[in-house]
Amino acid sequence: MFEWVLIVLTPILGGFIFGIERKLKARMQNRIGPPILQPFYDMYKLLDKQLILVNSQHIVFALLHMITLWVSVAMLILGFHLVYIIFIHLIATIFLIMAGYSVNSTYSHIGSNRELLTLVAYEPVLILIAVGFYLVYGTFDTGAIFTMGNKLDEMVLLFIAFLLIVPIKLKKSPFDASEAHQEIVGGVELEFGGVFYEILYMAKWIEYIFVYTIIFLFCGNGFLVGTILCFVVFIVINLVDNSTARVRIDHLVKIVLGFGIILSVINLIGISYV
Amino acid sequence: MFSQLFKSLFNFKPYRKKSPWILHYNAGSCNGCDIEILACLSPKYDLERFGVLNTGNPKQSDIFLVTGPVTFRSRERLVELYNQMPEPKIVVAVGSCTCTGGVFRGMYNVEDGIDRYIPVDVYIPGCASSPELIIDGLVKGLDILENKTKQIELPFKLFSKPIKKDGITDRTKMSKRIDDEQD
Repeated sequence: MFEWVLIVLTPILGGFIFGIERKLKARMQNRIGPPILQPFYDMYKLLDKQLILVNSQHIVFALLHMITLWVSVAMLILGFHLVYIIFIHLIATIFLIMAGYSVNSTYSHIGSNRELLTLVAYEPVLILIAVGFYLVYGTFDTGAIFTMGNKLDEMVLLFIAFLLIVPIKLKKSPFDASEAHQEIVGGVELEFGGVFYEILYMAKWIEYIFVYTIIFLFCGNGFLVGTILCFVVFIVINLVDNSTARVRIDHLVKIVLGFGIILSVINLIGISYV
Repeated sequence: MFSQLFKSLFNFKPYRKKSPWILHYNAGSCNGCDIEILACLSPKYDLERFGVLNTGNPKQSDIFLVTGPVTFRSRERLVELYNQMPEPKIVVAVGSCTCTGGVFRGMYNVEDGIDRYIPVDVYIPGCASSPELIIDGLVKGLDILENKTKQIELPFKLFSKPIKKDGITDRTKMSKRIDDEQD
């Protein structure tokens, strides 16, 4: 019962995390920052704008992107097969890429190109992390993993490889080349306005819940350790976002794929033969 | 009927004040007012505590912040950008050049101010305007934004020619709103 409440309230929780994060980033820069409920004020304001759309396929793909992301978070909370969850998340990103290609705008196409390249960068690492889960816990089923003991000490390097992926998912520096605000005016989000931009904005909140639930999954049974780890990762990710610059897209692929695969393979060899 | 019910139950107008997203456009300015606008977003005069985000995208912004007297090449872009913003929106003219032409009034290369082309809601004087003035003008503009409907603004019409007398051209009596009374 508690899981279904969590699934229905996923965007609202994600909105709170987004609001707290903007306040945290502002305080790190010695500013005051917007109120914590700011994402919800943005949502109400966007609902009240005139409707402007380019073509209907564009909007349908964005809606499918948000709904598929919500479904993958629901699957994660209810306890399904881990590799299926990763593939549903992959389909959600593919919908976003197709939304970018379905309009006749250059910046939208560049944003979709870069999003495809980041997919090439992080999907192999995510599959290797799932393999690591199988070798350590003996099963792919997330419902079972949430009840087993805490085995984070055998998966340290895999956790660091996952931390390399988190800035890509949350669209933060140094790996936010696909939504490069100053360079390509937002990339895929360019042609959305009004209610339709609200769909993409809400998809960002749901992505936060997805990433932080996987960090919970690394700790298995220990919810206290998981909560502390989430807080530490939250602060570290925002610190890195405030202090680094954006990396070029080909360097992004080399860094994330290179370091991710090397760290994951070392950890997998360590689990199997040590 | 369902939309009437929806509108009577949920009133979203106060939220327009709480999250204004701006689009900053330079229509030929010397960049002085642009630098002051960027200074508004810096930690000393923090504009983000009002929820203001500097989006570079006309489809996602409510406030059109323009600097500079309109040059020949930026006329079309100015009107294009204004048309691509969804209603309700306000236009804020920052700096003396944008209001009336400033030091360049009457020159061959500038049109005197943006209100020849798009309807302006708030005029902020100064050369260059200080950040405190810009924040004050923006907050006054938010009050105007709260009361706007989603109808498209009625256009100005240039009713008469400029008046030339003693070698001085007077362009101030040319324009009126289209539903003002004729004289």
